[in-house]
Amino acid sequence: MSSGPGGEAGFPASAVAAAGPHVARRRPRAVGERTLHALAPYLLLAPAALVIVAVLGYPLYLVGRLSFEQFGLAELITKKGTWIGLDNYSRLFHERQFWTVLLRTIVFTVVNVGLTMILGTFVAILLTKLGRFMRLLLSTGLVLVWAMPVVVAVNIFRWMVDYEFGVLNWTLTKLHLGDFINKDWFANPTTGFVVITALIVWGAIPFVAITIYAGLSQVPAELLEAAEIDGARRWRAFKDITFPLLLPIFVILTSLSIIWDFQVFNQIWLIRGSEPEESYWLMSVYSFFEAFKLGEYGYGAAIAVVMVAVMFLATFVYLRQMIRMGETR
Amino acid sequence: MKRLTIGGALALAAALLVSAVAASTSSSSPKRQSATKVVIWLQNDAKNGWEQMVTSTNDAFKAKHPGVEVDVQYQGWGDHLTKFDAALAGGTAPDVIEFGNTETTRYMAGRLLQDLTAQTKSFPNSKTWLGALKDSCTYRGKLYCVPYYAGARAVIYRKDQYKAAGVKGTPKSLAQFQAAGRKLMKKYGAQRNYSALYFPGQYWYAAMSFVYDYGGKIAEFKSGKWKGTLTSPQAIKGLTQMKATVRALSRASKTTDEANPQQALVFSKGRVGSFIGNGWEWPYALDEKVGDPSLKNKMSAYPMPSHVAGKYMPTFLGGSDVAVPVTSKNKALAYDWIRIFTSASSMRKIATIGKQIPNTTTLASVNAGNPQLAPFTNASKYSWFVPTAPNWVKVENARVLKNLVQAIVTGRQSVAKAAKSASDQITKILNQPVT
Repeated sequence: MSSGPGGEAGFPASAVAAAGPHVARRRPRAVGERTLHALAPYLLLAPAALVIVAVLGYPLYLVGRLSFEQFGLAELITKKGTWIGLDNYSRLFHERQFWTVLLRTIVFTVVNVGLTMILGTFVAILLTKLGRFMRLLLSTGLVLVWAMPVVVAVNIFRWMVDYEFGVLNWTLTKLHLGDFINKDWFANPTTGFVVITALIVWGAIPFVAITIYAGLSQVPAELLEAAEIDGARRWRAFKDITFPLLLPIFVILTSLSIIWDFQVFNQIWLIRGSEPEESYWLMSVYSFFEAFKLGEYGYGAAIAVVMVAVMFLATFVYLRQMIRMGETR
Repeated sequence: MKRLTIGGALALAAALLVSAVAASTSSSSPKRQSATKVVIWLQNDAKNGWEQMVTSTNDAFKAKHPGVEVDVQYQGWGDHLTKFDAALAGGTAPDVIEFGNTETTRYMAGRLLQDLTAQTKSFPNSKTWLGALKDSCTYRGKLYCVPYYAGARAVIYRKDQYKAAGVKGTPKSLAQFQAAGRKLMKKYGAQRNYSALYFPGQYWYAAMSFVYDYGGKIAEFKSGKWKGTLTSPQAIKGLTQMKATVRALSRASKTTDEANPQQALVFSKGRVGSFIGNGWEWPYALDEKVGDPSLKNKMSAYPMPSHVAGKYMPTFLGGSDVAVPVTSKNKALAYDWIRIFTSASSMRKIATIGKQIPNTTTLASVNAGNPQLAPFTNASKYSWFVPTAPNWVKVENARVLKNLVQAIVTGRQSVAKAAKSASDQITKILNQPVT
């Protein structure tokens, strides 16, 4: 990542010098050695690939198979489900609740990813503008947020908006922003989701901000200086120089954020005291509820599979689009 | 740049896989038990109300079975069944588990609990068990669990506040109860979070009492099918009265239940005139560590009055049973632990320390003479119970009634609309094939 387009263009001479003797030494080698050379990367990858198949592939297969089975409480003991084909899926697609939850999850993801990326970028730019001490302070703060376990963070947010004793309610009231004493944030799903979004975006900003900051420090200062001399304003310089250069980073961060936010579970589960109301269900909660609360393990697995499919589709389309954009530029 | 995006795509693919698996396998795995350890799951109520009785049971058990370890793990009502199901699948289920009496039917019908019919007589008090609890342990003539205790709810209130607000005696009808509440609100309502009646918005046990008081029902079994009946005029009347009472007298959160936070502890903080609680919640409010012992002489209880003057509002006859899952590897030890746990001396402690109704009718006299227990015993004379359908626990797990009460008291839905949606859901769930 650090040897971006600037690096390659900047030091062609040294690159050739480094590659030269290496190429020269390799020329007289035997064919067998060359095939070994070609195979080496795959051999090196094999252990990791094996581990991935074992710990991810196999469970994934199990979930897939479970989604085609009738699997309830009785089957927990016998450990043998009944194959029912696509019944779980057809039941799911006829359930209005499924479409409500899916739509809610998509909207939730768009809002959260959008806010995370925008605020994260702002914080990253802020980091480049700050003096040494403040930068240290801010990045320490970011790392601390990053390091905080989710359970702790959720409980702190829960206390802050507590109905009886919430410090946020008290502060907002003292600031004369309205009457927030005994404000029940979760009585209305809209305000409830404001709190949840705040919690998730707050937790996601550090990773985004620090990564973008790392990228920003690689943007050649000469380019920006040149743009400034040509009379480009800050926004223009960001839009036409910084952003295109950092596009790969933005693509990765956005895609990762989509994946993370689409499957949010812990925050919602914990902030609603392990019993989220239906109006707070996202796909992951829906799947868990059907499987583990109602004992419909096959049906719950079907929801999980659909969830993965939707996520895969969204990420794939997005990635393709962005890679194409990158190529045309 | 191209190589970078490919690397990124690989990272993404890996992240996707991780998320897929995470979505499907989230469950806790309790400790694996060894052969000489009996694992007991009890609810937190025992810990808060009568932990001494649990300790003395364990001591007696260990004296009888030297070398056997007892591991009591306390659970919350919200997720203990989820945990139990997961533990069953993982082969790490406890040797003894406490069930609420509304939760047993599905597990009995699923043959997941050990059949105790042959050993019935070996359990203490088995001839005099409370009928309601024994029924909740019986499925098609066979016994699958042992009654533990029952509880009725009554209004626990602040005598001093009632007096200061000018309420004479205790209310004898719902109208008087509401009038008394209004007096309290007038006197203390200036304190922003004062409630004359602390009634959290998901407190469905108390809310359904209004339904049954007006002659309504949750569901009924007719010609081979279950039908949700919360849309009946009687049920609507009850729910409407409940809404009026809660909206006028309670400033409790409308999105929490009676256990989070524990209403007895909110009461002990002083800004609550009364709440509808179990017998054990009275001493819990006086707890030295978490409550306020100085309230000792300022509080009392009376049965919640009916809308018909002079009668009591039906109370939910809650209770608990203890059972042995079929997966237990220490069944004989588990039975023995249960025998000590439900012995006459243990049950006496449940009555005196826990302020609960013990599992046997022979100990009824222990409660009768005690002014602290009489209101609860009296309240239990009029009681209601959930529909005895094998799928009932799914209605609870799906939070249908909690959602109903919350939708009504927050005003998000009209009484009629919320009742219709809950009733339809109940009909649907109760008629599903038993799985």
